[in-house]
Amino acid sequence: MHIGPLIRAMGRNRTRFALIILEIALTLAIVTNCLNIILDERKGMLKRSGFDDDNLVYVAAAPFGTEWKDQSFVDNIVKVDLRALHALPGVKNAAATYFLPWQGGGSSGTYRTDGFNGLFQAQIYPTTSQIFDTLGVQIVAGRNFVPTDTPANPNDSSKVTIISSALAKKLWGNANPLGKVIASREGTNPRTVIGVIGEFYNPYSWPIGDFVLFTPGRAWGPTGTSYLIRTEPGAMKAVLAEIEDCLIKVNPNRVMRTNVISEVKSTFFSTSRIAISGMLGLIIALIVVTALGIVGVTAMSVAERTKQIGTRRALGATRGDILRHFLAENWIATTAGLLLGVAGAYGLNLFLLSRVSDVKLPWQLVVAGMLLLWINGLLSTIPPALRATMVPPSTATRSV
Amino acid sequence: MFGYYVQTALRSLRRTPVLTAVLIAAIALGICISTTFIALRHVFEKDPLPGKSQSLFFVRLDNWDPARAYVAEDPKSLPPQLTYKDMRALMRSPIPGRQTGMFISRMFVFPPSAKVRPFRQTIRLAFSDFFPMFNIPFQYGSGWDKAADAKPEQVIVIDAAMNQKLFGGGNSVGKTVRIADRNFKVAGVIAPEWQPSYRYYDLAQGPVPPESIFMPFNLTPVMQIRTSGNSDGWKDFGNTPEDFLNSEQTWIQFWVELPDGAKLRAYRDWVTNYVRDQKTHGRFQRPLHVEINSMQDMLEQFGFVPKTVKAMSFVSLLFLIVCSLNLVGLLLGKFLARVPEVSVRRALGASKVQVFWQHVVECEVIGVIGGAIGMLLSVAMLSVIAKVLQQANGNSISGVSLDLEMVGVSIFLSLVAGLMAGIYPAWRICSVAPAMQLKLQ
Repeated sequence: MHIGPLIRAMGRNRTRFALIILEIALTLAIVTNCLNIILDERKGMLKRSGFDDDNLVYVAAAPFGTEWKDQSFVDNIVKVDLRALHALPGVKNAAATYFLPWQGGGSSGTYRTDGFNGLFQAQIYPTTSQIFDTLGVQIVAGRNFVPTDTPANPNDSSKVTIISSALAKKLWGNANPLGKVIASREGTNPRTVIGVIGEFYNPYSWPIGDFVLFTPGRAWGPTGTSYLIRTEPGAMKAVLAEIEDCLIKVNPNRVMRTNVISEVKSTFFSTSRIAISGMLGLIIALIVVTALGIVGVTAMSVAERTKQIGTRRALGATRGDILRHFLAENWIATTAGLLLGVAGAYGLNLFLLSRVSDVKLPWQLVVAGMLLLWINGLLSTIPPALRATMVPPSTATRSV
Repeated sequence: MFGYYVQTALRSLRRTPVLTAVLIAAIALGICISTTFIALRHVFEKDPLPGKSQSLFFVRLDNWDPARAYVAEDPKSLPPQLTYKDMRALMRSPIPGRQTGMFISRMFVFPPSAKVRPFRQTIRLAFSDFFPMFNIPFQYGSGWDKAADAKPEQVIVIDAAMNQKLFGGGNSVGKTVRIADRNFKVAGVIAPEWQPSYRYYDLAQGPVPPESIFMPFNLTPVMQIRTSGNSDGWKDFGNTPEDFLNSEQTWIQFWVELPDGAKLRAYRDWVTNYVRDQKTHGRFQRPLHVEINSMQDMLEQFGFVPKTVKAMSFVSLLFLIVCSLNLVGLLLGKFLARVPEVSVRRALGASKVQVFWQHVVECEVIGVIGGAIGMLLSVAMLSVIAKVLQQANGNSISGVSLDLEMVGVSIFLSLVAGLMAGIYPAWRICSVAPAMQLKLQ
C-alpha cells in the first residue's frame, strides 16, 4: 500500500478527518475519565467488612417507660432480652452493641500509645464477648472478653481492649500487640490490648475504616438498648418477623427500629451505584454516537468517491485494496485522534481534579481506552468500506 | 424572511427523513443527558430562598483546642456550631433584625389516638424568629411568639404530614399532643406546599428533608433535652445536663438576619469584641477567628452535591459537543449535495448572507426539535432518578425535576448545539461561487 497518495487524498478531505480526529479525542478524554470515576467508586464497594453481612440484623429499642431510668433495671432487661433473642429459632448469636456496620460512621476517639509517634484516631465500641461470634470475626491472637472485664460502675472506664489487626500493624508493625497499652489523648484511661481480631472494616468519614477498639462495657442505658443479631443462613426473614414481638414481650414500653445490615450496606452505596450506572450509560451512549459518526462520515466519503473507486478498480485495484484504503484512512485519523485524546484525557483529569474529583488518571486506563476506541473505529469503518468494495469497475466508464 | 427560512428548512428536512431522524436523535440524546445532570446539580445548588438568602448569615467562632485546629490538618478550620453559652451571649446583641439558635433532638411523641403506638421523632428546637427568617408558610395558625420563647411555653409547630398523622388533618391549632413527659399545644400547621428539597437551614448532615415538629429552644434546659445532631468537643465535660450546657461542647447552629452591609459590619465588630472579651477570661485561646457567612457562601462551603454529579455535569456538556461534532459531518454532506441548487439561487440574486442564514435556520430547527425531545426525555430520566434516590435512602428529595431556569438552560443548550453543528456547513455552502456551478450543469 502506498502511504503517500493516501495522505494526499486525506488532505483533500481535511474537514471530514478533522471532525473524526476531534470527536475521537473528546471521546477518549471522556471515556477514560468516566471509567476512572467508576473504578474509584467500585473500589469502595468491593471492600469486605470481614463480617457475616448477609446474616446480620441490628435492632435498636428506645424506651418511654419511667422504669427505664434505673440502670440496674436496664442491666437486667438486657440479660433477659439476649436470652429471649438467643431462644428464637434461626438466631445463631446476639450481642449488645451500638456498632451498626456499613452506616458510614459510628463512634471514634483520639488515642496515644507507646511505640507510636503522636496521636491516632480509631473507632471505639463498648460491647461484650458475644460480639465477635455475632459479627463472624476470628480472634487471631490473645483472648476474648470475660464478664469481669466489664467495670461494675457504669461511669468507670474499661481496662482492656480488643483491636483490629490493621490497627495493631499501623501502631507497632510486626511486634506483638498483646500487652501494649492504649491511652486517651490526654494520657488517661489506659487500656491493655488482650486480643486481636482478623478482619474489620467499617467505612467512616475519616480514613479509619480498618481501625477499631472494642472495649468491654455497657452498650445500653436509660436511653435505650441496641443489639446486633446473627441469623442462620436463610433464616433472616423468619427472624425479622419475630424480633419485635420477642422484645415487646420482655418489656412493652419501647419502640423498635430494625436495620438489616445488607440493606444498610446497599443504602450506603446507593449514590455510588447511581453514579456508576449514570457513567456507564454515558460511556455507552458516547461510544455508540462516535461509532455512528464514523459510519456516517465514511459512508459519505464513499458515496462522494464512487467514481474514483470505480476508476481505481478499472485500473486493476482489487476489492481488498479498496477495503484497505478506507481502513487505513480511518486508522490514521483514529490514531491521530487518540494521540490528541491522550492530551485531552489528562487535561480533563486535571480540570476535574482541581474542581470535583480526587483521583488521578492511571496510564493503564488511558491505554485501555485507546485500545477500545481503536477497535471501535476499525469496526465502524468496516460496513461503509465494504460498500465501497462493491463499486463495480464499470462505474469508471459511466458518465454521471 | 425568518418564517420563509423555517418553511424551507422544514421542507428540506422532510426530503431526507432518515438523515433528519438521525440528526434530531443525536441532538435529543445530547440534550437529554446534559440537561439531566445539570438539573440534578442545580437542585442542590440553587438559591433555596431567592430574595431572602442574602440577608441570612451563619455565625461560627473558633473556641477550639489551643493546641490543635478543629480539623487538625487545616489550621484555618473552625467548628461549624456554637457552644450553648456563646449562643446565649450572641442572642444579647441588639443588631440582628432576627436571630435563632437551633438543634435537633429525637423525642417520643404519644399520638392522641390510643390506636397509634408512640413513635420517636426528630424535633427541631428553635426560637420564634425561625419561621419568619426562613419564610415558612402556614396553613393554620402561625409560629409561636416571643412571649412563648421567653416563658418558655409548651407549644409546637407541625407540618402538614404530621398534622395528618396526629390529628387526621384539619385545623389542629390549639389541640394538644404529648411529647416526652409533657403536653404540647399546637400553635401552627405548616402549609403542605412547603417542601424544600433539603433543610436549607441546617447543612451539617447533607441533603436531609426538614423536620416535621418544631419546639421552643428555651425548653432545652427545662426538659433537659440533649441534641441528637452532631456535638463536637475537645475538652472533657462533666456528667450533668448543666455541665454539658456550660461546656466547650459545640452543638448549636446559629443564624442571624442582617438587612444590609452596614448592619453586617456592625455585627461583625460586635461579635469580634465579644470574642476579645472572652479571651481576657481565658477562653478562645486560638487566633481570633470569627466567620459570619451568607447562606449562599454556606451552601458553597458545605456543598453536598456529590462529586460524581459535579463531574458528570461537566462531562455531559462535552458529550453534547461530541454529538454536535457528529452532526457537522452529516450536515456538511447534506448541504454540499445541494450545491447546484444553491448556485442557481446565488446566480438569481440571493446574497451570501441570505444563503448562510437560511442554512443556519435549518440547523436551529433541528436543534429546537431535538432539544424539545431531549428535554422531555430528561424529565422522564429525572423522575426515575428521583425514585431511585428515594428508594435508596428513604428520604424523598422533592424538586428533582426541571424548573423554569433549567428549561431555559436546556433551550439555550439546544440552540448552541444546533449552531455548533451548523455554522461551518452553512459557511461552506454560502461561499459557493455561482458561475462555476452553472457552467457544470
